[in-house]
Amino acid sequence: MRKRVVITGMGIVSPLGNTKEEFWNGLIGGRSGIAPMASLDLSPYKSKLGGEVRNLQPEIHLGKKGLRYLNKGTHFLGSATKMAFDDSKLPQDGSLGDQIGIVIGSSLGNFSETTDYFHEIIRNNPSELSPMLSYDVALNSSINYVSVIFKVKGPVRTVSAGFTSSIDAIEDASRMIQNGFAKVMIAGGVEQISIDLYLIFYLRKYLSGINSEQEISAPFDVKRNGFIMAEGSYVIILEELQHALERGATIYAEIKGFGNTYVGAKNYSTLERVSSVEKAMQEALRNAGIKKEDLDCMSANANGCQIQDPIEANAIQFLYGEDVKHIPISAIKSNVGESYGTAGAAQLVSTVMSINTGIIPHIINHAEKEPENNLNLVLDKPLHKQINHAMVNNMDYEGNNSCMVVSRFS
Amino acid sequence: MTKVVVTGLGLVTPVGTGLKKSWESFIQGRDGANEMKSFDTALYKVHRSCEVEDFHLDVELENQISENTIHKYVYYAAREALRESGLLDDKESNRERFGIAIGTLAAELTPFERLLRKDTSLKDNGFDKIVAAVYPPNSITNILAKYFNFEGPTMISLNACSSGNHAIAWAYDRLVSNKLDVVMVGGGDMIPQTEFTHFHNLKALAPDKCQPFDKNRKGLMIGEGAGILIMERYDYAKKRGATIIAEMAGYGLSCDGFHMTAPHPEGEGAVKCMSDALKMAKVNPADIGYINAHGTGTPHNDKTETIAIKKVFGDHAYKIPCSSTKSMVGHLMGAASAVESVICCLVLRYGIIPPTINYETPDPECDLDIVPNKAREVKISRIVNNSFAFGGNNATTIFTKLE
Repeated sequence: MRKRVVITGMGIVSPLGNTKEEFWNGLIGGRSGIAPMASLDLSPYKSKLGGEVRNLQPEIHLGKKGLRYLNKGTHFLGSATKMAFDDSKLPQDGSLGDQIGIVIGSSLGNFSETTDYFHEIIRNNPSELSPMLSYDVALNSSINYVSVIFKVKGPVRTVSAGFTSSIDAIEDASRMIQNGFAKVMIAGGVEQISIDLYLIFYLRKYLSGINSEQEISAPFDVKRNGFIMAEGSYVIILEELQHALERGATIYAEIKGFGNTYVGAKNYSTLERVSSVEKAMQEALRNAGIKKEDLDCMSANANGCQIQDPIEANAIQFLYGEDVKHIPISAIKSNVGESYGTAGAAQLVSTVMSINTGIIPHIINHAEKEPENNLNLVLDKPLHKQINHAMVNNMDYEGNNSCMVVSRFS
Repeated sequence: MTKVVVTGLGLVTPVGTGLKKSWESFIQGRDGANEMKSFDTALYKVHRSCEVEDFHLDVELENQISENTIHKYVYYAAREALRESGLLDDKESNRERFGIAIGTLAAELTPFERLLRKDTSLKDNGFDKIVAAVYPPNSITNILAKYFNFEGPTMISLNACSSGNHAIAWAYDRLVSNKLDVVMVGGGDMIPQTEFTHFHNLKALAPDKCQPFDKNRKGLMIGEGAGILIMERYDYAKKRGATIIAEMAGYGLSCDGFHMTAPHPEGEGAVKCMSDALKMAKVNPADIGYINAHGTGTPHNDKTETIAIKKVFGDHAYKIPCSSTKSMVGHLMGAASAVESVICCLVLRYGIIPPTINYETPDPECDLDIVPNKAREVKISRIVNNSFAFGGNNATTIFTKLE
């Protein structure tokens, strides 16, 4: 009998706000967190919008000491972790010892901070630069910081798997609890917007508006033309069930199952890509020990990508056949944009909120779906529905497809 | 529960490209340190590192793979490992059950740095399609998957200097749980000027040579290269008649939760990590025949690692040969524990322990048997491989002869 893993805390730093409540009220209120990019000068480029974190006051969560040496992503992750910790009511004095660990997903990490540092190196005498300038430049330094301030002594890992990094990190953290390495795991993802990462996406032609179309985050809509990049940190506290029950914790949901496949090994045909996503969904269902009919809703990966949105839509249609009209589909990237390495964690916390409130947020910016898309998209207004089991889909363009089943605890 | 075994190994190190060349250098105790070639160190106090020399891929592959040298190192080591395992030309297997897990620290920075050195005016100028294509770090796993037709899930382990061991632990879990049959694991890293400067300004770099456990040790020597292991389920390896090199018997993970750059002074995290690994592998401390130390050559690490080993192994600690191969190849950062895991497998195969070279003056605080300066023949069957990264991110793996 494998150990059961439940969610007992959530912390959110997002384009919709920097608390769980603001994020959720934004989603069900149909608000958009996307606006002209304030932190970057994008005048030479065509895509101008972004889902930026605004008005975060990390000192409220982390204190003032040492904050100036830490980069934006570490502020995000540290703040989200503190809020998740507070939410869980677990002790924060280090008394969990080696029974608490961290797994965080990040695809693009501190690349920009690292290249800023390199720019200092080539413009100055490098041996005179303060070591504090490079205090927080390694790709895993945000996680190190969190481990130090929260005195984490168990397993600590940063997972990078492209756009599925954070959902893969949550799976990895659940597995560590199941394997008995810790009773509590901090899990989730973090990403920060920077000019470097913007250019990586821009040069690969991933962003909406690149060919002067209307810039919009419109999952599954006919006018979609790419994604809008976003940032944030979404952190959950995972806990071994007995540990949570014994301390009388509030249990938000249970991690039930996971499945993943990969589409990076060759030039897969569209049909192969569809079947690969379907396989990941089936594996997650099998792993959770439930049938597709048991699912009450699905959080789509869809981010407005011309090619990938229909692949996901077809995979869901293949999985359900005629019954596809019974499964409501949400797509929160319409509100919060594509936050790549932390996108899966964002979808997961939204889904957990749905389980706890019985409300599924609707897809905004949606006017018209493609005629061959038969999905039951949640549109116009939030859908009220009791949810026992839900699926979160997460896909990378050239890599992992990861699907997670999360369920009401019973 | 099935066992997990190693069936193929591949290496690119500063002391040799390929397993054979590297191993010969290891048992001869060759020092891979040299004057830095890839960038100008005139403004630094340290001018040496361990760079890979005379590296060539077949000409037709050279341009195909990628502009990024790290991809070539990892490709080379992966092909060597796959060939040994008998899976390079395999047509039988279900490739969807072949996964990849690779550790790195910052190898993807080097092409960016090269471009930016040419035009220092604007940071944005460092970007072009080439740089965009080699980032993010999972471009490494995607390239390996494409070239070797691995169709299962992948991950990049970004865990600083214990990245390689983390990748191995990740693979172990997915093999034992029967999600995958085979995982290509390991690590690859290069020497970006960014990392060189970071370590340099922390005063962590040795000026001339890396001297782990020596009283006068002055720091680490930064290195580059790649190490790859083919890990698979024992039942799977047996079924296809593969030659088994070693069993990957268990691992331990821990965090100091103490400081961003300094280890816990009592080695608390390191103790937990080694103890958990022994427990998982069901190995008595007294049965360990060799420890491949993290042994970076920094004053802090070597002292606390010695303390931690004594805490875990008690009096037996003095009887276990415990060498640092970083004395020869330097600290390969994200690739370090992967390369050292390959070395552990070779120690099991050949019964020879590579030495800790550059050892001159004993340090009473580092008084273990560090196999000074000369390789040693031994009869052993169980090995501990330590990696303790900056940030207190610790991972230990255990390799044994298959019984």
